[in-house]
Amino acid sequence: MDKNTLLIVDDVDINREILKDIFEEQFTIYEAEDGEAAISLIDKYKEDIAIMFLDLQMPRKNGLEVLTYMNEQHLENQIPVIMITGESTVDSDVKAYELGVADIIYKPFSPAVVIRRTLNIIELYENRINLENKLEERTAQLRVSQKKLEMNNEFLMNALSSVVEFRSLESGEHIKRVKTFTGVLLSHLKKLYPEYNITNEQVHLIVNASALHDIGKIAIPDEILLKPGKLTDEEFEFMKTHSAKGCEILEMFKQEENEFYQYCYDICRHHHERYDGRGYPDKLVGENIPIWAQIVSIVDVYDALVSKRVYKPSFSIEEAERMILAGECGTFSPKIIDCFESAKEELFELTQSELSFNDVV
Amino acid sequence: MELRQVYEQLQGDYDSAIKRLMSEKFMKKYLKKFIDNKMDEAIMRALDAKDYETAFREAHNLKGVCANLNLDRLKVSASELTEALRSGQPQGDITELINSLNADYNMTVEALSNIEFS
Repeated sequence: MDKNTLLIVDDVDINREILKDIFEEQFTIYEAEDGEAAISLIDKYKEDIAIMFLDLQMPRKNGLEVLTYMNEQHLENQIPVIMITGESTVDSDVKAYELGVADIIYKPFSPAVVIRRTLNIIELYENRINLENKLEERTAQLRVSQKKLEMNNEFLMNALSSVVEFRSLESGEHIKRVKTFTGVLLSHLKKLYPEYNITNEQVHLIVNASALHDIGKIAIPDEILLKPGKLTDEEFEFMKTHSAKGCEILEMFKQEENEFYQYCYDICRHHHERYDGRGYPDKLVGENIPIWAQIVSIVDVYDALVSKRVYKPSFSIEEAERMILAGECGTFSPKIIDCFESAKEELFELTQSELSFNDVV
Repeated sequence: MELRQVYEQLQGDYDSAIKRLMSEKFMKKYLKKFIDNKMDEAIMRALDAKDYETAFREAHNLKGVCANLNLDRLKVSASELTEALRSGQPQGDITELINSLNADYNMTVEALSNIEFS
């Protein structure tokens, strides 16, 4: 046993004496002759008390009041209580069990039985507390390893997506901004349109998945990808293959039933679809475009507008907003436009802050 | 007088008591305490003061102690008074219950005082 202190609470000294004689050899014993004395002993020795015997009928706080106090202090799982009572009334027994009593023993009792039951209950509680502690420890360890895994994952994702950007002679900033803006828009989507049932866990996954949206650009030759100025129609058609090409890469590592894979795939494939069905590669219409792809789509457009690219100067924030709302850069669902409007102050602030445009200036 | 004889006189179950209370040494210690405690006085004081809540608790305590010590006859009269007081107010005329409790109590203490305690 980890603890060997026993608390006997009874207003009749003979009853306390009988229990004391039974347990004296094995336990350090404290006695209380009413509920108030019991409570102050509990406060003082709660770390040491292995078990407590409690009488029901007592002056100055009865047994049920002592139990209620222990519940308020969340001690009911820490200190097992054996109720010792002269009679069994169903009501008080039920009430006692509801308040977390471990066992009820009726007077007159036999020492052999009381000892057995007492030791069993102590063991039971100690095992449970030990198990809980072990579980807690294990959970903490798991949390640490999961955190590490997540960090490794994020590192790899960022490294991978930056490969494409570096080829486009951009720094990794675009990816960072797309991720941040995607998170901001998703939080507004959650607020404005709870019907999408987006969870925090999903937000986390979608934000990370957004990093891979342009991975297919790795398959676009330099003379198109890095061409300053306008692409010919033929070049532009080739450029448009990047979303499907990205998916070809992802499909080589397809993971069935993996939610994260699905977000990566959908975002990579559909971030150039348009709400009116005039986008590519699949010409999806309306809500057939997964909502996460719609979000990354508007984020990608916004960031492209306010960034300098080989083929264009950067536009001001206000101009970017105007062009998006005027439908000059694709069509978006009214809900996505709502989210953009609702999130724009936040986006603007981020755009002007440290996150921004080391790559552009 | 032998403890067993005293119990016979009191209509108490000696065999059950010795089994539960482990030894005559312990039994005598409790019985001595029982005499010293004068639990009847606490009941009567509360009844005189019409403090029925305390009277109930004290009668209930006496009943519990009698159960532990196998003072079975006194236990019955303590139990009857306890039940008559359980609701917080005496149920009917409890004079007779009080009288028989007093009689049983006195008889019990008288018999117990024949024990050689040291």
